[in-house]
Amino acid sequence: MRLLSRALRAAHGCRAAALSARSYRAASAGGSAAAGPCQPQPRRSLSGRPRLDSLFATDALSRLLEARASGEAGPALAARIQRLRDKEQELRDTRQLAGQDESEDLRKLAESEIISCEEEIAELKHQIVLLLIPSEETDNSDLVMEVTAGVGGQEAMLFTSEIFDMYQRYAAYKKWKFEILEYFPSEIGGLRHAVASIAGIEAYKYMKFEGGVHRVQRVPKTEKQGRIHTSTMTVAILPQPSEMKLKINPKDLRIETKRASGAGGQHVNTTDSAVRIVHIPTGVASECQQERSQIRNKEKAMQMLCAKLYNIKLEEETKKRNSVRKIQIGTKGRSEKIRTYNFPQDRITDHRISRSVHHVESFMLGEEMLDEMIQTLREYADYESLMEIISENEK
Amino acid sequence: MRCLTQPLLRRFLGLLPQCVPAGLSQSPVLGPKQSSLKQSCSARPGLVTAIDVVGYWQKVFETNGIPETRESSEYIVSFVLGAKTFQSLNSEKLRTPLTAVQQEQIQQLCHRRLERMPVQYVLGEWDFQDLTLKMRPPVFIPRPETEDLISLVLEEESQKRREKNSGLCFSVAVPHPVILEIGCGSGAIALSLLCKLPQSRVIAVDKEEAAVDLTKENAHRLQLQDRIHILHHNVSYGSAKQLLLWGPMDFIVSNPPYVFHEDMASLDAEILCYEDLGALDGGTDGMRVIKTILALAPSLLKDSGSVFLEVDPRHPDMVENWLQAHPDLLLTLRAVHKDFCGKPRFLHIQKQSR
Repeated sequence: MRLLSRALRAAHGCRAAALSARSYRAASAGGSAAAGPCQPQPRRSLSGRPRLDSLFATDALSRLLEARASGEAGPALAARIQRLRDKEQELRDTRQLAGQDESEDLRKLAESEIISCEEEIAELKHQIVLLLIPSEETDNSDLVMEVTAGVGGQEAMLFTSEIFDMYQRYAAYKKWKFEILEYFPSEIGGLRHAVASIAGIEAYKYMKFEGGVHRVQRVPKTEKQGRIHTSTMTVAILPQPSEMKLKINPKDLRIETKRASGAGGQHVNTTDSAVRIVHIPTGVASECQQERSQIRNKEKAMQMLCAKLYNIKLEEETKKRNSVRKIQIGTKGRSEKIRTYNFPQDRITDHRISRSVHHVESFMLGEEMLDEMIQTLREYADYESLMEIISENEK
Repeated sequence: MRCLTQPLLRRFLGLLPQCVPAGLSQSPVLGPKQSSLKQSCSARPGLVTAIDVVGYWQKVFETNGIPETRESSEYIVSFVLGAKTFQSLNSEKLRTPLTAVQQEQIQQLCHRRLERMPVQYVLGEWDFQDLTLKMRPPVFIPRPETEDLISLVLEEESQKRREKNSGLCFSVAVPHPVILEIGCGSGAIALSLLCKLPQSRVIAVDKEEAAVDLTKENAHRLQLQDRIHILHHNVSYGSAKQLLLWGPMDFIVSNPPYVFHEDMASLDAEILCYEDLGALDGGTDGMRVIKTILALAPSLLKDSGSVFLEVDPRHPDMVENWLQAHPDLLLTLRAVHKDFCGKPRFLHIQKQSR
């Protein structure tokens, strides 16, 4: 929060009023200890008026808009800014007329016009914000999701399995394709480690906010004394590169199978179709034994390997950019505790935005509630990057 | 050894202890040290999970000298639980105790495996590329190397397409490729190609009726029967003319029998006791059927049409020499491709255009 407010202060003219106590109420639900007085109250959409309206009233944003109007996104941006100004003028005129008018009918007409004007203004502001925020290279990618049990033994593995199932259901809810690439269960039905590929419209754009440490607080099924345990699991979200974005020389790959020794071909009939691929220059490896067809295992292992290599490349690129955002994507965010699932209080808290919601069971269905949480994170992240851009522009 | 005919070879191998046919076995199946499944279970008494059962049968297989103990046990248990691999069973399925019926099914299948029946026949199905195919003895079980043969044909087809369209500002309708597969077995190659090339048509032949029937069954299951002709035909004797019902071919694809006859006796019991050895035995030099196919190819192929063959790693040089000794065939060895183990395994031979 401190970092964010520094960014805000840097945005000259964007005074504290822009983030008034009203709009940044403490998360009321749940009694999270982390909730301080200046935590943001998440809203359903970015066009949440007080915040955006006051932002649009700042000089810093006007200067940014001016600077950008001549840039790459210039024409589209300029057109919307012009339209916004026209609409604002229209709104003022209509308001004035409505105030003067005595006739009931005309006043009603003016009022409905005001409402439609306001709606369009909000939408235009939303579009302008989206044009200002640069889209990431990876935003349209598919992705590879890795889940790993953390602290807490069997209980952590049980939780990992539940989280994995939650994302599988979420993928179905979003009509994305979900394919398991690796799955290592534990003895009592938990999950040590698993990898899945998720493909579909804007899959990475949503899922990238789920990377990090997820924490569970509950009485484990294995606990006899009824004590509450805290366990963790980690989610990593790796964008899947297209062939254009990542070129791999086949000579750099070593493909390992069980058939490597011996005559092969018609001479042997073995069924172990596991495939391991090593990228020799980096030592990065991946393996798959999910399928009975060896070539399918090879394809899946290759998919994982590409995602790993691409991620390394992206990390190197972003390492240079020293970001101060609260919502971190990639390695920086992976070791960070992002969310707590507290069963005794039936509460889920996302620590990045200090938002708490109730009904763990519905949340873990991977439907509306999870989707809303991710939506809020997206908006918050958009807002943060806009703040960053504004402060950059002021330098 | 060379002159051992197949039935003789089989009888000879039948004497080996690991190859005892079902029912006649004198030595009872050995259980693992802790004899009963229930005893070996870690979980609640009387209830067994998939993990328990896999461990139990793995030990039984070990005790009885069955190869691929873990894999065999896992494939069989997963199959009964409705999954393809043990790794694709979710934690829910792993946790749920098995029903008596499931345990009974597993036991039946595992007993077949104890008789050295290949896992693919035990399950009655196996995967090849993206397809799940029925498998039935004695029809040859496709090997993973052959999956790469499909990729090579697809690469050549897409390259031909690019060449035809290059230099033109509009794309010409490329005629749909006609492919001949010689020795179709379960239909793995033919049906994969039909799937990957939705415009193609395939003529698949095999000299064994069991193979023809299985290919037909698999084609119907995958609803690919409209673009395939499956013929009971022996290329060594039959007339080539009846193969030209769709005109000359763009491709001839084959995984012919290529095992050198002297190697046959050293094959595993799984192969020798259950698979049609005619699908493996390529004669003294492993080239008997390869030569037949190459001699036939010029009269079946279009100009610049290609033959794709899977062969033994010793064959590429032998085939090249043979082609040089038979220039009248107008065939050129275009490329030798390696399999995933780095062995020279696939030949691309092209008919010269006049």
